[in-house]
Amino acid sequence: MNVKEQLKEGLVTKNPVLVQLLGMCSVLAITTSLFNGIGMGICVTVILTCCNVVISLLRKVIPQKIRIAAYVVIIAGFVTIVDLCVQAFLPALSESLGVFIPLIVVNCIILGRAEAFASRNTVGVSALDGIFQGVGYTLVLIAMCIIRELLGAGTFGAGLLNGGDGIRIFPAEYGAMLMIMPFGGFITLGFLIALMQHFLRRGKEKAEEKERSVK
Amino acid sequence: MTKTKKSESGVRLILVLFLISAIVALLLGLTNYATKDRIETIRAEKTAAAMQEVLPADEYRRVEYSGDDARVTELYEAAGGWVVRLNVPGSQDKIDMLVGVGADGTVSGVAIVDMAETAGLGDKAAAPEWRAQFVGKSGAIAITKDGGEIDAITGATVTSRAVTDGVSAALAAVLTVKEGSA
Repeated sequence: MNVKEQLKEGLVTKNPVLVQLLGMCSVLAITTSLFNGIGMGICVTVILTCCNVVISLLRKVIPQKIRIAAYVVIIAGFVTIVDLCVQAFLPALSESLGVFIPLIVVNCIILGRAEAFASRNTVGVSALDGIFQGVGYTLVLIAMCIIRELLGAGTFGAGLLNGGDGIRIFPAEYGAMLMIMPFGGFITLGFLIALMQHFLRRGKEKAEEKERSVK
Repeated sequence: MTKTKKSESGVRLILVLFLISAIVALLLGLTNYATKDRIETIRAEKTAAAMQEVLPADEYRRVEYSGDDARVTELYEAAGGWVVRLNVPGSQDKIDMLVGVGADGTVSGVAIVDMAETAGLGDKAAAPEWRAQFVGKSGAIAITKDGGEIDAITGATVTSRAVTDGVSAALAAVLTVKEGSA
């Protein structure tokens, strides 16, 4: 598998959130402002990459029978390390993400990639897989944040731009509160998944047509 | 399952998992050691800033709280009044808050030290405009829905009620302390 293929898989064809439907809890819960989305995305990418590397290194040492237990210990370790570092060096992020950083332990993207990819591939490709899958996750978070923040609160980039208040697009009174609530996240995610499936299918149909015309 | 695999399991399973856990535990210990002081400093700074906000003073003296309200965790006496620290049950988790009470027995300020309320709704309790409503209030206070005069946060009645109850409890606690010293 080459790098380009892996990049395409992580971002599009096997996007962790929109295609594999992994890690949805955090996607729904924290995508209320751009700051949260980017922060969470970076945390997950770092943890995913570290876990993939370690698990790939240990793939011949860890016996089949206890592999899940071993993965969970490694993942929990990395998550706690990142959590402590964020608390110490980025208090603002730790405050707004709160319990969702420790909850990355049970984010199925990480266990899913460990089981499906890192435990079967070499260190190099596993590291790339962690980065690309993490970036794919981050991009979805960012898209969700932008949509929900705009429709729900009428701002863009809260917590990051304009001294933390974000750029106001329309007054807060006109915001649709349901977009900020978790079920607004569900609706947004549903539309994004549908959109993704639409494009993926269209791409496939085009490819098939091409094949047919060649024949 | 082949026989060789079965015989290798027992001891090896335990050993591998033990080693992984031990290494992870060691790394966690090291990280905790490296970040502990910083995290504590940040927490202390946050609390100190919040205390200055609710009741500006040069010095706070911790006093014993003899009342039986379990929500009150700490009580401080300062030149211009008291600061009460409380843990009230919010909608998601405990809300760690500070209430400043002036010498005249009215609220001088309310601050949230730590909370995990719903993002976008309950977390607006930390907004200065909302907290400002409490300043100058005394006695038992309540949100408008319960017949009081505090405007609850839209979509976060539970959080608003929790904070309001906390402020009432703080006022009551200060009364107890005043009576005790009088």
